[in-house]
Amino acid sequence: MSAVLQLKNVHKAFAGVPALAGVDAALMDNSYVSLLGPSGSGKTTLLRVIAGFEQPDGGEILFAGRRIDGVPPHERGIGFVFQNFALFPHLSVAQNIAFGLENRAVAPVTDAKAVTARVRDMIGLVGLTGLEDRAVTQISGGQKQRVALARTLVTEPSMVLLDEPLGALDANLRTRMRGELRTIRERCGVTFLHVTGSETEALAMGDTVLVLDRGRIAQATDAGTLYSRPASADVARFLNCYNIFSGAVSGNVFESPVGRLALGGVRQASGRPAYAIRYDRVAIRPRDAAAAGDEVRIEASFVASEYSGAAINSFFTLDDGRVFEVETHLSHAAPEAFEEKARYALVWKREDALVFV
Amino acid sequence: MNASGIKLGLGLYTTLFIVFLYGPLVVLAILSFQTGPEGGPQFPIIEWSTYWYKHLFGLTPPSRIAPLPIEQALVRSLALAVMTMIVSTVLGVTAAQAFRKKFRGSGVVFYLIVLGMMVPGVLVGLGMALVANTLGVDRHWWGTAFVLHVVYTFPFAFLVMLAIFNRFDPSVEEAAWSLGVTPARTFRKITFPLIFPGVLSAMLFAFTLSYDEFSRTLFASGRDLTLPLAIYGTFSVEVHPNVFAFGVLTTLFSFALLGTYAVLMGLSVRRAKRMAIQEEA
Repeated sequence: MSAVLQLKNVHKAFAGVPALAGVDAALMDNSYVSLLGPSGSGKTTLLRVIAGFEQPDGGEILFAGRRIDGVPPHERGIGFVFQNFALFPHLSVAQNIAFGLENRAVAPVTDAKAVTARVRDMIGLVGLTGLEDRAVTQISGGQKQRVALARTLVTEPSMVLLDEPLGALDANLRTRMRGELRTIRERCGVTFLHVTGSETEALAMGDTVLVLDRGRIAQATDAGTLYSRPASADVARFLNCYNIFSGAVSGNVFESPVGRLALGGVRQASGRPAYAIRYDRVAIRPRDAAAAGDEVRIEASFVASEYSGAAINSFFTLDDGRVFEVETHLSHAAPEAFEEKARYALVWKREDALVFV
Repeated sequence: MNASGIKLGLGLYTTLFIVFLYGPLVVLAILSFQTGPEGGPQFPIIEWSTYWYKHLFGLTPPSRIAPLPIEQALVRSLALAVMTMIVSTVLGVTAAQAFRKKFRGSGVVFYLIVLGMMVPGVLVGLGMALVANTLGVDRHWWGTAFVLHVVYTFPFAFLVMLAIFNRFDPSVEEAAWSLGVTPARTFRKITFPLIFPGVLSAMLFAFTLSYDEFSRTLFASGRDLTLPLAIYGTFSVEVHPNVFAFGVLTTLFSFALLGTYAVLMGLSVRRAKRMAIQEEA
């Protein structure tokens, strides 16, 4: 595998406000890459810069070995799937899909039969058979999504950018389309760069996950590593599964606002010291239960819990007023009833915590 | 006030409004059926007849009333309106397209364009006549007057298109580019079909405004008169119901024009509706 897209120190500011502040990344050929970032992190801007809809202020973009910053969008050969699909409303499903083949500047397909055949194949691939002659306004959201994808894939780009492609779909459909997007991509052998603000979507979809934070790539790794070893407290925060304390390391303890936490396990250099413990690594015990030698223990009062089927999330307030979340998987235990405002001991193993120094 | 009272009030208001709006037209239409050649442009109707319509087309025996000298003027006005419509609409669409991106001095250019419909017509007409005289240019309806008609109608076409582009979702164009389609071809195959309802409205504005333009044309058109000038000219001698008959016919022509517009618009709106549904989704 080689890199199909390389970004080198890409900058972009809008009216003096930086949206991209030196993005470096390399995307492997034939892979599914998800780009995770909170809103305002510059992820849509990055996608639009790669597509050529916006010009970067500085840096280099190399696509298939060729420098493409400054090249107009229609000469880049990079597909784009919009969040609102941006289908051509005056054309039918089949005409939408045929549009790029027939009208592109390079190697347009002029033979009507060839166009029909390729459109038919693509309609089969994305599962739209039977809807060829429908107006694109007479089909459902999921079907529109497929038309948008088919319209791009039929032109055989080596990379497709997807801007929150599942954002406009309802939850059920979103889950189903996730699997389909992966299957379709594997069959076409193209690289997908999928932008999303949802950490579960990013983890589920990407062979590689890029985390964008304040205009920079904060981490680029596979989903498993990202989840268990976020590179910084900020990345851990986006993953939405860590309790994070700020503070400082002194010797063998972490000085946090809720007390001294004994250290064990790994320490990672990240520039800003922080202590992170995953929601599902924490045990809730009665207040009088003692902690074992390799455990860290804090106290908190119970606020409420939220039942989500396979797990239950309990919320506690710490002494400094901060909320602490604990996720208990119900395959291990029946849900316990906790008393509101009562104090409990929250306990975890020292080596389960991530320490950033 | 209770609901039926409001209803009654609004009904009365609407009736009055319609009477004022169409009253003159109705009176004109009734008087056009006055008997001729002895009947005049006033009530009562001596006898109902289609004499003045026949008179318009030269189908009546010769009488002391000369036929309306409008045949040439009508052709001129139609030609001028079509020319103006084409040029103003093209200018309006391209200018509005340019304004989709902010450029240096766009604010000033905007007001310079809109100025064309704001300045008093008589003054512009007079000014054009003076400039033409100074430069030694002959005044013609197809020359000096045509330029003024474009200056006058272009802002209307421009504003209509500006409003249309305001609601236009540029991501469909970006989608076409990302498929490898050039911006020029994208405009022709995607943008233009989607803004077509607006283009139709711009054309209608430009055509009707030019067709009955009077004040600018008065000084700038030179020797050959356009229709509004020719009709005004007949008033200065003596008014006969043949002018009314002609008025009825031009009104019917306008209705036909509006009908065509409505049909074309209906087709486009169906398309626009599809687009709106897509935006909601």
